Amino acid sequence: MTALPPLDGDLLERIDRWARVAPTRLAHVSGERSLTYAELTRRSNALADHLTATLPPDGAPVVIEGHKEPELLIGFLGAAKAGHPYVPVEDNLPPQRLSRIVETAGAALTLTAATIAALAPAGAPAAPAPRPAPGRRAPETPYYIMFTSGSTGEPKGVVITHGCLEAFLNWMQVEQALPEGEVFLNQAPYSFDLSIMDTYLALVSGGTIVSVTRHDVAQPKQRHAAFARSGLTVWVSTPSFAQLCLVQRRFAPALLPRLHRFLFCGEMLPHGVAAQLLDRFPEAVVWNTYGPTEATVATTSIRIDREVLTRHSPLPIGYSMPGTRVTVVDEGGRELPSGERGEIVIAGPNVSPGYLRRPDLNARAFFALDGQRAYHTGDWGRLRDGLLFCEGRMDSQIKLHGHRVELGDIESNLRALPGIADAVVLPILWEGRPDALSAFVVMTERGTEPDFDLGNRLRDQLSRRLPVYMLPRQFSFLERFPLNANGKADRKKLAETLA
Amino acid sequence: MSTAETVLNVLAQVSRTEAVRDHLDLRLYDQHLLDSLATVRLIVAFEEAFAIQFDDVEFEREDWATPGHIVAFMEQRLGK
Repeated sequence: MTALPPLDGDLLERIDRWARVAPTRLAHVSGERSLTYAELTRRSNALADHLTATLPPDGAPVVIEGHKEPELLIGFLGAAKAGHPYVPVEDNLPPQRLSRIVETAGAALTLTAATIAALAPAGAPAAPAPRPAPGRRAPETPYYIMFTSGSTGEPKGVVITHGCLEAFLNWMQVEQALPEGEVFLNQAPYSFDLSIMDTYLALVSGGTIVSVTRHDVAQPKQRHAAFARSGLTVWVSTPSFAQLCLVQRRFAPALLPRLHRFLFCGEMLPHGVAAQLLDRFPEAVVWNTYGPTEATVATTSIRIDREVLTRHSPLPIGYSMPGTRVTVVDEGGRELPSGERGEIVIAGPNVSPGYLRRPDLNARAFFALDGQRAYHTGDWGRLRDGLLFCEGRMDSQIKLHGHRVELGDIESNLRALPGIADAVVLPILWEGRPDALSAFVVMTERGTEPDFDLGNRLRDQLSRRLPVYMLPRQFSFLERFPLNANGKADRKKLAETLA
Repeated sequence: MSTAETVLNVLAQVSRTEAVRDHLDLRLYDQHLLDSLATVRLIVAFEEAFAIQFDDVEFEREDWATPGHIVAFMEQRLGK
């Protein structure tokens, strides 16, 4: 086995190295299609050349739109090599939402799988010059920008730099002691930063990324077939996706004989899911990780074994990565003693420099702590002997099957529809966790249309503004909202109707 | 209670939609009233309600596309 390259090397060079060491090895498999390391390097170089020749050297973001096609990886690396951060977006976003993202990002251009295939075709010749131009890979250079739900209805772009991503990857690679050539599950959409964990851990360690499409996710038979031919060794997903798979009894070592590791992130890992996995896959290890997108995928981690399961329910979210400090603070920002509940604050090289072009939000969420970038997570938490526990949100952000959703985002978009006076959106819980959305709506004029038809019509209108996972399942119509002591819609009272 | 009634009760509860009872041709997935996770909830709820165990990979979304489809599927599954 080839020794892994040094961890302090440039991220892009570490990936390109595999084109020399193992040129014919598969970097990516998606359905019937695949991409070798040699092709990935050659074609991303060709794309970088094209972008360098045609775009001003201003580091403007490049939007990359698609769903799991091998070309997207070429796009990500090509943009990064040309010194342009990329903005990954799914191809099923409503056009209105997409154009807001393109506009907010100040994107230089939008690439799709088809345009990338045309600009950097399979037969692209080996490029002569090393890239990117020297000086482009400073740690503070933006690498990707992840757009996430914003409470006012405007998506906000989290800037992640080369330095952030390298800090995250170096930690994970050492902690997980990942050998060369593992096969990683890629299930999360590229627009969700959980996918960074599998994609880049695979690429820096000469591994293979196996994508499962949203179609595979929805169809049990297809999902089963995809797993059967996958050769997966490292599982990366939300706990929700594992839960979906566990319902099939055939989801077991006979189907995935080489699988030895589960890495979870993106939402609370339910105790029952971890326990079931350990029963079903007795040879595999299960890890829980935690972290906001603003601190590059994950910041804390813990291996969940039988002992942890016995000692903790709900499960802890882990210990901080080395070099990064996780503290729990009170309202005044003062560090709280062990065991006391407060806001989780993260400070370290993995913390984003901020939201793109949003000084208003940055002033509130980001600050400097002991010379490091620091971020107010908005998560309630508690530390016990260095072990972190998360106890939910301080605001109305929720995690819906791993998707980060600001309820205010949906409410703003609902209020923007004709005929709506006011709207409140609340999560419907299943075993204590958000499982679907319920919208409470006050119409300016309530006609004679039955509630069910009106709800369907509003959901349809909303689907032209919001991603599918943000559409309420249930609509209720009220003449007015119950008010709380502050004269605002009483969300608690409304939530009681959902119990 | 008939199989159909039980199926529709469970479906109404999981989809949070009373209207499934009298809209048997409602496209549940297309209308975003069900998704993959909700399907899991349905399976678990049917297993409980009818004291059965589903075998692996028994159905595709198209088999459960509407309340009518689900009732027919469950009636056949239960041999009625």
